[in-house]
Amino acid sequence: MADTYLQVIFWAFFALMAIAGIRVVTTRNVIHAALYLVATLLGAASMYVLLYAEFVAWVQVLVYVGAVVVLMLFGLMLTRAPIGSANFDNNQRLVGAVCAGLLFAVTSFIMVGAFEGQEIDFTGTEGTKVQSIGEAIFSIYVLPFEIVSVLLLAALVGAVVISRRDEGRVDS
Amino acid sequence: MGLNTPEIELLGIAPEIALVVGALFILIVDAIIGEGGNKWHLWILSTIALGVSIFLAVQAWGSNELQMGDMIAVDGFAAFVKITLAVFALLTVWLSRSYLHRDGIEESEFYGLLLFAVAGMMLMASAADLIMVFLALETFSLALYVLVGFRRTSLTGQESAMKYFLLGAFSSTFLLLGIAFVYGAIGSTQMYGSSAAGAGAQGIATALVSLPAGEFTLLVIATGLLVVGLGFKVAAVPFHMWTPDAYQGAPSPVTGFMAAATKLAGFAALIRLLDAILFPLRGDWRPLVIGIAVLTMVVGSVLAVVQEDLKRLLAYSSIAHAGFVFTGIIASNDRGVSGSLFYLATYGITVLGAFAVIAVLGGRDERRTTVDDFRGLFYESPLLAGALTLFLLSLAGVPATVGFVGKLVVFGAAVEAGYSWLVVVGVLASAVAAFFYLKVLVVMYMQERQEGAEPATSGYGGLATGVIGLAALATVALGLYWSPLIDFAERATFFFSAGG
Repeated sequence: MADTYLQVIFWAFFALMAIAGIRVVTTRNVIHAALYLVATLLGAASMYVLLYAEFVAWVQVLVYVGAVVVLMLFGLMLTRAPIGSANFDNNQRLVGAVCAGLLFAVTSFIMVGAFEGQEIDFTGTEGTKVQSIGEAIFSIYVLPFEIVSVLLLAALVGAVVISRRDEGRVDS
Repeated sequence: MGLNTPEIELLGIAPEIALVVGALFILIVDAIIGEGGNKWHLWILSTIALGVSIFLAVQAWGSNELQMGDMIAVDGFAAFVKITLAVFALLTVWLSRSYLHRDGIEESEFYGLLLFAVAGMMLMASAADLIMVFLALETFSLALYVLVGFRRTSLTGQESAMKYFLLGAFSSTFLLLGIAFVYGAIGSTQMYGSSAAGAGAQGIATALVSLPAGEFTLLVIATGLLVVGLGFKVAAVPFHMWTPDAYQGAPSPVTGFMAAATKLAGFAALIRLLDAILFPLRGDWRPLVIGIAVLTMVVGSVLAVVQEDLKRLLAYSSIAHAGFVFTGIIASNDRGVSGSLFYLATYGITVLGAFAVIAVLGGRDERRTTVDDFRGLFYESPLLAGALTLFLLSLAGVPATVGFVGKLVVFGAAVEAGYSWLVVVGVLASAVAAFFYLKVLVVMYMQERQEGAEPATSGYGGLATGVIGLAALATVALGLYWSPLIDFAERATFFFSAGG
């Protein structure tokens, strides 16, 4: 019975992702495209939940849905890019289609080759718990974790340098 | 549940901590002092931070262990690289002070980012886990992307930063893919593998012992990808495309720092990986690295001949020099490793000196950096011309300069390992390289100064002069009396190993 529910949920989110994904590349409004991208990424997050990877799912929501798409929208807003129904077609549809098709073919080939016919039993699985990830971060990976904060700090300082206006330039 | 935290030993990463704290301190102090003024506190504080860092790096000399949950190796190799990096950074800070002050763009962020970059490079030298290699690489790369574009009003500067950023990000993906392959092969990203309990008990070094022969395919693929990712950073051909553009548009002190320190950091990781960890697989990686070395030496030297801009010329020369270092890595014996370290240290000092001269002569906003602009320089400013001559001769590898000793050591190691033909290629490339260094000298000494040209030197501080003087002194002194530094490099050539 539970399996049926899972199937229904899976196909529902699958449909959402497929439709939204197609709309991302076909819509002529770049803001709409960004919003469709949100739907696609949320669908991916739901797939992670179905695979018992709750932590990855929430990271997906926070980082991709939250940060990346907001970043894109802010980028559009701040650079005064042509919002609305501007035509972004740069006559490279064929190249894009071939690349995307090849990527899909290779990925599917590898996935099918690796997992064909295998049934993964999820009964009794707890999945990756946040607790185990937290324990790993604060035990063996404590130094990399700290270095990441230095990395982000350097990025922050760099962003300040790049975005600052040149009013303060003093002539010597 | 119990959290199995690793033993925290701060001495191992104390040099890096000192730099990060110093950078934060500089940013905060500058915010308190505010706009205006002479800004002398910036370079003084940077100097103090780097001095403390050198002191702490010296303290770690002699220890030989993995620390912080096997994430970093504290060994002689790391100590040597850290001390050398800090010396490069000191010279860069002093030169930058003169440069930024003259151009009116002296900001605390420059020094902060520089110190962040050095901290990242130091971590790179002692990284004992591929995750650490990646994080260290990203830390110094991010800081350098911004430093390259620090002249915000300059279009070439922005173009350089953009190109460096895009290609740098691209190269990171190769490194990450390599790390992923390592994880796929051995189930962890550790280089050494440890006795401590935990997820990462297996490492590359232990896997090479325990895995049956013939199951190294994934590790070989991973090695290739790691070499590509790090090859970008040391500007090896065919991953050198960004180098001339980035070197040309970056502020000259930053260019010198990149040529000296980025190469050293990148090679430090490469040497540890190839010559210490993957030594048993040398039959597999040597053909690849030999190909890269030959291409790097030849392409770097030949393309430098046609350059009109002195910074581009030195960029191609730096590519060629990366090839010479590779010969020491290919030898993968003790002399090869210590020779590579010696080469990188002395090349760094020389190239920093050369870029210091360019920074002084280029004038405000670096208007004069083409070879033509140096016409008749000797008659106007004999001392600067003399210093530049010295640096170029050393880069060419003329005897009585340190460049000659460096080439002798790495080529000697390659001959010892049975790669005489590689040395022949290297010597031929050096001969081609000598041509374009001499071209600059001819222009400086044998041609008349252009009519109505601006005076070559205007408004640079005593610090830049000091840097040029120090670098020139080191170039000559180490060229005549090299044994202390070689001894130091040789004694530094011990890596952490599980046995001892």
